[in-house]
Amino acid sequence: MLEVIDLTVAYGPVVALHGVSLTVADGSMTAVLGANGAGKTTLVRTISGLTRPRGGSVRLDGRDITRLAPDEIARLGVAHVPQGQGVLAELTVDENLRLGGLWRRDPPDQRKALAEAYDLFPPLASRRHLAAFSLSGGERQMLSVGRALVARARVLLLDEPSLGLARLVLVQIMARIRALVTERGLTVLLIEQNAKSALSVADEGIVLHLGKVVARGRAHQLLSEEGLRHAYLGF
Amino acid sequence: MVAVRSRVDRLVSPTLSRHLLIALAAAVVLLLLSAQIGAYDDYNLTAVAIFAVAAAGLTLLTGLNGQLSLGHGALMAIGAYTASLLLKDHRQFPVIVVLLISVLSSGVIGIVFGYAAARLRGPYLAGATLTLAVALPQVATRYKSIFGGDTGLIVPPTAPPDWLGADFPAERWLAWIAVAAALVTMVLLANLLRNAPGRAFKAVRDNEAAAALAGIDVARTQVLAFVISAACAGLAGALFAYWSGITSPAGFSLSLSLQLITAIVIGGLGSLAGAVWGSVVLVYVPLLTSGMASTLKLPSSVADNLPLAIYGGILVIAMLVAPHGIQGALGRILAIGRARWGHTPGGGQKGVVDWDDPAPGT
Amino acid sequence: MSRFFVLTLIGLTQGAIYAAMALALVMIWRATKVINFAQGAMAMFTTYLALFAIDHGAPYWVAFAFALLSGFLLGAVIERVIVRPVESAPPLNVVILTLGLLLFLEALAPMAFGGQIKSFPPAFSIVGLHVGNSQIAFSPFDAFTLGAVLAVMVLLLLLFQKTNLGLRMRASAFNPEVSGLLGIRVGRMLTLGWALASLVGALAGVLIAPSLLLYPTFMDDVLVFGFTGAVIGGLDSAVGAVVGGLLMGFALSYVGGYFGSDLETVGALVILVAVLMVRPRGLFAVQRLRQV
Repeated sequence: MLEVIDLTVAYGPVVALHGVSLTVADGSMTAVLGANGAGKTTLVRTISGLTRPRGGSVRLDGRDITRLAPDEIARLGVAHVPQGQGVLAELTVDENLRLGGLWRRDPPDQRKALAEAYDLFPPLASRRHLAAFSLSGGERQMLSVGRALVARARVLLLDEPSLGLARLVLVQIMARIRALVTERGLTVLLIEQNAKSALSVADEGIVLHLGKVVARGRAHQLLSEEGLRHAYLGF
Repeated sequence: MVAVRSRVDRLVSPTLSRHLLIALAAAVVLLLLSAQIGAYDDYNLTAVAIFAVAAAGLTLLTGLNGQLSLGHGALMAIGAYTASLLLKDHRQFPVIVVLLISVLSSGVIGIVFGYAAARLRGPYLAGATLTLAVALPQVATRYKSIFGGDTGLIVPPTAPPDWLGADFPAERWLAWIAVAAALVTMVLLANLLRNAPGRAFKAVRDNEAAAALAGIDVARTQVLAFVISAACAGLAGALFAYWSGITSPAGFSLSLSLQLITAIVIGGLGSLAGAVWGSVVLVYVPLLTSGMASTLKLPSSVADNLPLAIYGGILVIAMLVAPHGIQGALGRILAIGRARWGHTPGGGQKGVVDWDDPAPGT
Repeated sequence: MSRFFVLTLIGLTQGAIYAAMALALVMIWRATKVINFAQGAMAMFTTYLALFAIDHGAPYWVAFAFALLSGFLLGAVIERVIVRPVESAPPLNVVILTLGLLLFLEALAPMAFGGQIKSFPPAFSIVGLHVGNSQIAFSPFDAFTLGAVLAVMVLLLLLFQKTNLGLRMRASAFNPEVSGLLGIRVGRMLTLGWALASLVGALAGVLIAPSLLLYPTFMDDVLVFGFTGAVIGGLDSAVGAVVGGLLMGFALSYVGGYFGSDLETVGALVILVAVLMVRPRGLFAVQRLRQV
């Protein structure tokens, strides 16, 4: 279970998040929505430890992880896939995937996890020894999600996976992620501007506007509330 | 009438007159001081003035224009060798002529190297100037017949002019020359910095792309800054030749360039007043350590190298703790809460100068 | 034997040393985006330590290992204690820091070991080998020099390309932020990078000390030549660094042989400036688009 409690983050004088709170239950997917600059990326960067908050806390299964370093948080099973996929362009596909699981120091399990990742995303298998910069946007997204799998991540933070992706590819990737949530209890926090597609795969949703939570609820509820949709979600 | 008046106003701007006033006051103070203190201290005063001239040029280049030069010791050598060659065999050139020609020669080398280096950034420029620092003294060694090889060239002492009286000490005369040169340099540089060239230097340092878009000729600005600093180094070098009496490759090693960098870091990169502080340190630390060494009966290998070890330590500690030097520390004490640094993203470490990346948010 | 051939052989051996220095500089550059101007001084210091061991009765190979080990440790300590705090500061600060380190080490060495010029023993004979009836300008020690540098490079290559540790180090150098997100202890990887680079530098020091003689500034030229070689190869490329270093070895040998040995450094200056004027970021550097 991932909890964000009253989180406040500021960059100098600019406050990006004002007392944001949310909870993501195990084995569920929560979509974080809102326009550009609403604070969505700041939220995930703070959860994964890249940014220090000014106030509030982040808890993973009850444990306070607010002040931990990013690599420590990653080793607790949190995988952050940044905007632009965060793929290590000069390394090969195989090297990128392997990197995900290295910290676990369990070679047999790593080989197994690697095979599962290739199974889930066949295009990666056929490109395994190519440098990552030669992949398309969709393939890179598969690579970074695959990497999170190899890391046996329990919590996946996905920042705007739809950017630069063809719709069909996005749908396929999200379907696979949804399957992982349902079948393996993966916990996912999904940041998206494209609210409609995010809410169609997520269980819960919260809407950020200028750093504050302005709405939250079950995904289908948010989808149906017209006023909300028009005001904050653009449809 | 109005047009003439406004041109005169610009020529003798309030800034310029203020600088001249300060320089005049300093001149009077130092004149009186030099008369009170003995020959030994006049000798040290001269040394401070010499380093201050070189350091002022270097702080302009590095602090205000963002180009790090590890080669200014070599540029001083050019001024020194020019002066030494002019004065070889007791030829009687007036001091001012020797100084001007030395400024010219080092300025010319500054143009040549400046053009070559204008496109270089960051570590490439540092490395190129490092190579200059290490290579140039070897030219003197190679062409023994002209430059005197490793033994070097002797520079005859300069006698004070007759009108000062027969008893006027030579050290005080040299101190007057050096201090005058230093004050002139400071006034010229200070004025330059307050006007368009100075703003261009800073603009290029802070964000080259933006400066170019604003119409500043970046390459020319870089070369200009380099030439000015080279000319200062040349002037200092010529004075150094008079002061030390001998010009040899050993006197202009890499360690001299690094000492100059120490001086400008101590004083604060980009600060002319700081260049003076730093020079005081460069002159007095060796005196203090040698005094300490003889009291404590330390071996000469320790005594000779202690100043350099101290400078190295200062540079390391300064970068870790106080990147802005004495002047910066004073400035911050005087202006608490007014600081507007933050060239690095996220407002993390306090910055001195950005290397070649655009400074975000400026 | 023709002059050219002699100079070429000499250039080969010297080039191996400069290649090692260039490689050390590039390793640190790739990991932390810093040119370690103190690399030469660090190698000087570890060579002095080796001589200290020899003077106190240690056999040559023990002293040799001691030099490499102390290089490794010195690099690690310097990165962790002195460089780490300023890694996020503007690059100018870090350069000044390494310059301070250079000054400090070059002053500390004579204070600790005495400032007079000392001789350093070579690992093997420096008498030229006999090929057929003639003696060539290539000695057993030269062969060892080439071999040692080659061996170290091969080992590093294997480390970086074939091991998980090497993979983590490469990732940390490419993108420290993303690497942290993958659970990699990036700080440790950087420390290791500096340690290995410094070990390579230490190797260069003990290999060239016999011919240059040992005094506090004896590695200054090697640093300059290594830097020039690294720049020629493009600072981002390890292979380029090695090639650049070798080219410098040959070029300077010819300059020294045909124009006089005092002009070698001037030759290096001319080469460096010429290359940088044409390609301000090195011959093999990848042109990256600048983000405005």
